[in-house]
Amino acid sequence: MSAPMALGPNVEPGHDSASPFRPPSFAGLRAAAGFLLSSLPLAIFWFAVLAAPILLGVFLAAVWVVVMGLILAVLSWTGKPQWQTFVHGLALISAPLTLLSVRGAQAERRRIARSLGYQMSSPYRRMLRGSTLDRAHARAEDPAAWRDLAYILLLVPVGATEFASIVAAFVFLVGTITLPAWLFAAFPEGAPLWQEVQIDTLPEALIVAVVALPVSVLAGYLLITGLSQAHIALGRALLGPSRRAQLAERVEELTESRSRVLAATLAERRRIERDLHDGAQQRLVSLAMELGMARKKMATDPVVAWQLIEEAHGEAKRALAEIRDLVRGIHPAVLSDRGLDAAISALADRCPVPVEVDAELDGRPPEAVETTAYFVVAEALANVAKHSGASEARVAVRRVPGDRLVVEVVDDGKGGANPEAGTGLAGLADRLAALDGRLLVESPAGGPTRVRAGLPLGAADGTTRGTP
Amino acid sequence: MRDAEIPSKAPLRVVIAEDSGLLREGLARLLADAGLEVVAKVGDGPGLMAAAEQHHPDVAVVDVRMPPGYQDEGLKAAIEVRRRVPNLTVLVLSQYVEERYGAELLDGGAAGVGYLLKDRVADVSDFVAAVRDVASGGTVLDPEVVSQLLSRRRRDQRLAALTPREREVLSLMAEGRSNHAISIALYVTEGAVEKHVKNIFGKLGLAQTGADHRRVLAVLTYLRG
Repeated sequence: MSAPMALGPNVEPGHDSASPFRPPSFAGLRAAAGFLLSSLPLAIFWFAVLAAPILLGVFLAAVWVVVMGLILAVLSWTGKPQWQTFVHGLALISAPLTLLSVRGAQAERRRIARSLGYQMSSPYRRMLRGSTLDRAHARAEDPAAWRDLAYILLLVPVGATEFASIVAAFVFLVGTITLPAWLFAAFPEGAPLWQEVQIDTLPEALIVAVVALPVSVLAGYLLITGLSQAHIALGRALLGPSRRAQLAERVEELTESRSRVLAATLAERRRIERDLHDGAQQRLVSLAMELGMARKKMATDPVVAWQLIEEAHGEAKRALAEIRDLVRGIHPAVLSDRGLDAAISALADRCPVPVEVDAELDGRPPEAVETTAYFVVAEALANVAKHSGASEARVAVRRVPGDRLVVEVVDDGKGGANPEAGTGLAGLADRLAALDGRLLVESPAGGPTRVRAGLPLGAADGTTRGTP
Repeated sequence: MRDAEIPSKAPLRVVIAEDSGLLREGLARLLADAGLEVVAKVGDGPGLMAAAEQHHPDVAVVDVRMPPGYQDEGLKAAIEVRRRVPNLTVLVLSQYVEERYGAELLDGGAAGVGYLLKDRVADVSDFVAAVRDVASGGTVLDPEVVSQLLSRRRRDQRLAALTPREREVLSLMAEGRSNHAISIALYVTEGAVEKHVKNIFGKLGLAQTGADHRRVLAVLTYLRG
């Protein structure tokens, strides 16, 4: 089984791949408790590792600032000061510190993902190739590295709190279970419970234990989930990408998808030009030629002239059919006239493999969304017909919560479609990305193949067209 | 080739609604050459409506794409004019045929309706025969529409029981051809066609009907169901 392959960027800013809350299971709780207990030893380890670079760094930085400060003060009086050297020096001094912080933070990110199930995308700026000094400089200037350091330092008190809380909860739980065994040893006179009420007989102790057990289990459960969520929040704040980094990443994605869409548009124009040139245009040339010859032959050899006219007639009809197919490929008239449902039904009717269409839409999506969804289905059905060996396929079109349109094409074929090999699906992913949409292709060897596209409905112009 | 029509004494009166001047004049010449009388040539939907009400033609030949939107104005006008002018028959021409449009046209009744690809104009005698068929109350559907209808019903068990030959006959029936025309198209005798038709009706569970156009109707109802 190959994993589902997502094409196009994840384009929801401010959201990471997994939801921060998972329905708790016993295994999940155990993992979370283990996580909370191990925070303290790990915090101590990383603190120990970082202590030397921190002290050394602070000392060297102080020396550097004083010495260079004096030198620069003198230089700025006499000539041009080298600020660059000053900054580079500080970067070099902090290099071991930032490098180790990043290592520690990456280990923490993996630990959070593994034990708490919360994935974070990388917050770092793209590292440019260059000398060690350049890289150290870049790292020192990346706020993410310093946020990593802050996280590791904060992990010491946080880890201590978590450790203490979990140990206390465990002790409390064990104490509750064994309450009848030790109560009379600790309170020979009977334990005071509430003002005049005393627990001084065994049945009373048993009742208290039975009542207290679920309470302490619930308290332990709430403590573990609460602390896990708090730790995730801390991780998201310091280890995850900052709002600024998320925006920067999104700008980069949009820039890339824009240039890919532009390239795809140019490629499409070239394809249309080639199709017209190789197809209809050649046929029209030969048609004109045959008619010209027929005109010459008319007086001398009417039989040959008749044949030529027959051929020209056939050529003209073939040119018409070719142009019709080409035009339909550029933009199907039925889509603008009757909408997605009708256009997809028409596609399904033309597909050599039987296709079941299940479209439920009220109102019409924006034109760009409609057209893109149409071409997703067109490409997917073309692949079903050409490569899948499927005996049937199903197309579903749905409006889902969050005001998104989801289009899904599933076949029962042999699978193994690679969205990165063919240009068709990759081009679709780019078109979708331009509308903030996503394409998901699931095609394990042996089948079935599932192509799923999601598009925000408010993407193109924020309006929904009414049914005509 | 379609049925050989015996031209009646009074020529069929035609209105042409087509926005492209080149094609409008071409169609007019083609139909006039074939002995039909072109009483009006218009370029849009309202023009068609006015001409139909003024001249009461036997048949209107209408292009789907017309101003102002160049979408399906012609189709809408054709449906409207059929509703407003009784006994007017309509042949709709389109650059593309879509089963959906055919269904919309047929919803107003299948008698005196035609829906053809524009390309079919190139086969002049077939086209003229189609115009005459429609004018006399027949139903003419483009083979492409019929194949879309057939593919839509392809998982139907009863349709799967048909032999390839019977399927061919069914397609031609749905296009509105008579037994005679089918026998010519398939190079078989008319008797053989009659036998196929009987088998088809039996296998699909349709009631045998005499008139050609009621027969088309039965087939269409089955295919669209």
